[in-house]
Amino acid sequence: MAFYDRLFDALGLRDWCSGAGDGGPMTMAELLARSSGTESDPAPVPFWQTPFPSLDELNTACPAIGRTRDMTDGVENAFLAIKDPLKVVLDPLTQPLSWALNGSLELFQTIPWFVLIPLLGLLVWVASRSWALVGFVAGSFLFLAFIDHYSYAVQTLSIIFVCTLICVALGVPIGIAMSRSDAVQKSTIPVLDMLQTLPTFVYLIPLIFLFSVTEPKLYGIAIILYAIVPVIRLTDLGIRLVDKDVIEAADAFGMSDRQKLYGVQIPLALPNIMAGVNQTIMMSLAMVVIASLVSAPGLGVLVLRGIRNLELGVGLVSGFGIVLLAVLLDRVTKAALGRINASQKA
Amino acid sequence: MTNDMPDEPAIAIKGLYKIFGPDPQSVLPLVQEEGLGKDDLLEHHGHVLGLRDIDIDMAPAKITVIMGLSGSGKSTLIRHLNRLIDPTAGQVIVNGEDVLGYDEARLRRLRQETMSMVFQKFALLPHRTVLQNAGMSRRIRGESQEIADREGGKWLDRVGLGGNHAQYPHQLSGGMQQRVGIARALASDSPIMLMDEAFSALDPLIRTDMQDLLLELQNELHKTIVFITHDLDEALKLADHLVILKDGAIVQQGEPQYILLHPNDPYIEDFVQDINRARVLRVRSVMRRWDGSAQDFAGAVDPDATLEDLIAQSGGDAGATYRVERDGDPVGVLDMKDLLRALVPARPGDAAARDDSAA
Repeated sequence: MAFYDRLFDALGLRDWCSGAGDGGPMTMAELLARSSGTESDPAPVPFWQTPFPSLDELNTACPAIGRTRDMTDGVENAFLAIKDPLKVVLDPLTQPLSWALNGSLELFQTIPWFVLIPLLGLLVWVASRSWALVGFVAGSFLFLAFIDHYSYAVQTLSIIFVCTLICVALGVPIGIAMSRSDAVQKSTIPVLDMLQTLPTFVYLIPLIFLFSVTEPKLYGIAIILYAIVPVIRLTDLGIRLVDKDVIEAADAFGMSDRQKLYGVQIPLALPNIMAGVNQTIMMSLAMVVIASLVSAPGLGVLVLRGIRNLELGVGLVSGFGIVLLAVLLDRVTKAALGRINASQKA
Repeated sequence: MTNDMPDEPAIAIKGLYKIFGPDPQSVLPLVQEEGLGKDDLLEHHGHVLGLRDIDIDMAPAKITVIMGLSGSGKSTLIRHLNRLIDPTAGQVIVNGEDVLGYDEARLRRLRQETMSMVFQKFALLPHRTVLQNAGMSRRIRGESQEIADREGGKWLDRVGLGGNHAQYPHQLSGGMQQRVGIARALASDSPIMLMDEAFSALDPLIRTDMQDLLLELQNELHKTIVFITHDLDEALKLADHLVILKDGAIVQQGEPQYILLHPNDPYIEDFVQDINRARVLRVRSVMRRWDGSAQDFAGAVDPDATLEDLIAQSGGDAGATYRVERDGDPVGVLDMKDLLRALVPARPGDAAARDDSAA
């Protein structure tokens, strides 16, 4: 005799309830109750302990109502049902991402260390014009190479490189679209909020079902979804913050929308966009560690090994390597940002 | 009063209304037909009356100054000329065409070729050099970088920034930045120049310099200039035609000398009171017309001389009478007594008496 029996009796739904059969497999609670032999009517429930009419509770009174477990099953089945058609569309669409990640991994790993490290130094010099930073980057990589973490670090770097490029290529246009229309902004912000607050592991769950775990695009998509948010937000913000007087002057001299966008809005929003790129790089670095759960190579694999096998030293050293990578990526992008700021302070 | 208004104005504004709010058209009849005031409109209908029934004819090659205190709608008004703001009702006719009928592309051409604008806050592109800023209008039109640099450079030299081509705007002082703003407007070679409180953000001394520069350029270029200001001294110095705006409506418009001598509203009288009249008023505005009668003259004076000039010339002799001569021909007679009387602001009562003596 369940608490809500009387409710269904009163509503005259008893026939409908009992007509629905046994209501699926037994719950653990029922099983325990049966094995301890107390299945007979429980004592009447006192008023203070009135249970909330949840799905499980209603099910005990009326088997025709599904349990919560049936609901999650339904979600799963719905996802599995659309999985195949979704895959037909998404697979070819995302295949270039796999190629890009594989290609870049291969490229970074085939270039010998004595070419790649000077090359990175040159890149840092072009971006920052700071010898101290070039020295720091070269020193960090030589140190990582010395402790045999070089190939892992380069793998991580190559994944971040590809994912950041794609984030910028997709995020900046989305940010521009948001800055031009309040409607687009209003509808995009909840999606961005969701991407930013969703626990990182939750991203992986549907992706694992959609793509095979051995495909690089699986972690590529996870990283991009997680890391694209700041570049979108800051592009939108940056363009909206461009001095209204300057925009008015551009209008008054008859600039077309395109001239205004490329000649005024993007250049003036560049400091904010670059701040977004910096954040995007940092977030993809955070995600690349978690993505090693789904076969992403790099330093994350070592961290994971440290956790799995309780190899404390391995975990700590590779963790330090990730921190080092984060610091130098941050310093280089900040130095580049500083140069942009210096050239156009109002 | 001289009538220097030719038949065809460069810009004509006709019956212009601007109402800000959620649904301006719904309250327009209330303002147009029932004459609802600014306060009533805001309180009972939630709309702000920006401009009310503006009619101005702006003569070509002249400086039209629109003066008013902040909130009088003067900046709103000037933005209607190149349609940075669209009116609620009325017409803006530039060179015989109603710009309100223009589509997007035609409007851009108007802004690129016919009108250029100078802003109170300069509004230069901070990421471009001074030279690139000055040549901006040419590049927008799609002309080559070469032409843009040549025209921009030429006008930068003309406004006295020959050595600053490669600098960025933030490296210049406010006055120099506004010179770039003026060079930018001139480089577009447009016949009409809109100046929105162009000198208001500058120091008084630099402001005077810039006013002189503008008059000097105008003597040479003869552009149609629409100048917005809240400063009466500046307005009187620059204006060929003065429009005084209050709460979005025109209080009085006309030749500045005439407005000074015949203010038709207590609001303008208040304004006019603090002016150094001797420096602003000119001999032609206070002289009697030449009637040929022989008299004993203490000397000759040009009609465009200011009263201050004449006081200096007379050495303080208040009893003398001067012959006013333009290019040697006598055009009028000025009694120093009339001059002294003109220095005292007019009271409404004796305006009629003054009318007889002023030409």
